[in-house]
Amino acid sequence: MESDEIRAQLAMVRRAEAAPYIDHPPTPWWYSPVVGAWVAAMIGTFTWWREDVGLFVGSLAALVVLELVFLTWMRRRHGALPMPGRGTPPAEIAAAWRGYALAVPVVALVVAATWWLAGVLPAAGVAFVLVTAGLAHYERRYAAAAAEARSRLA
Amino acid sequence: MIEGIDPVIHVPKRLAAMAILANAPSASFRFLRDHLRISESDLSKQMSTLEAAGYVRSTKDGHGRGGTTTYRMTAAGDQAYKTHCAALRALLDGVVPQQQ
Repeated sequence: MESDEIRAQLAMVRRAEAAPYIDHPPTPWWYSPVVGAWVAAMIGTFTWWREDVGLFVGSLAALVVLELVFLTWMRRRHGALPMPGRGTPPAEIAAAWRGYALAVPVVALVVAATWWLAGVLPAAGVAFVLVTAGLAHYERRYAAAAAEARSRLA
Repeated sequence: MIEGIDPVIHVPKRLAAMAILANAPSASFRFLRDHLRISESDLSKQMSTLEAAGYVRSTKDGHGRGGTTTYRMTAAGDQAYKTHCAALRALLDGVVPQQQ
């Protein structure tokens, strides 16, 4: 094998390896508020924790089923949805993922503090705002990182 | 054949498919077709070869036009892909001897 041929193959491998991370349909506009509402609803169900166990468990189960349906739809829409722990994302995407991983515990702490200080419903409201805004920011950052990776690997 | 180079994966279309499958838990037929830019019949042929080698597994959801086929890489495929890529890199560095 000629070294030019090997170089070309390895470049093709790098582009194909990056495909699941950077070749996907644009995220729909409603994605961030819907996920924010889902998280808020999960927290909101705790209103019934002590009052009505059946309603509490039923609501949680319904929300989990909704999440599974949503994930199935998203996986089908994407075609090759990447998951942390499988493969190696391009450096640009890895940086966006690190930002996400750092932000999640901060949001969780703020929501937990609100819950402790003000109760379940204010915590659900804070979760909706933070998750919606945080995800919208992450999606913009991810799209920019994907564009950067696409242009580097082109 | 050069040591570590897998003749099944060496074909560029199959190598690209394996590279995609190494980075996602599964990939749909449509995603692979669009990324590899090949015809459906060609993709079917390439994926059947990978499946026959035990490198990928396919699952079908539904029937007819609405049905979808998805592929997953097997543990054997994962190992073969890593070995193949390592061999390519080593070859580029000039450290792999050619088998007689």
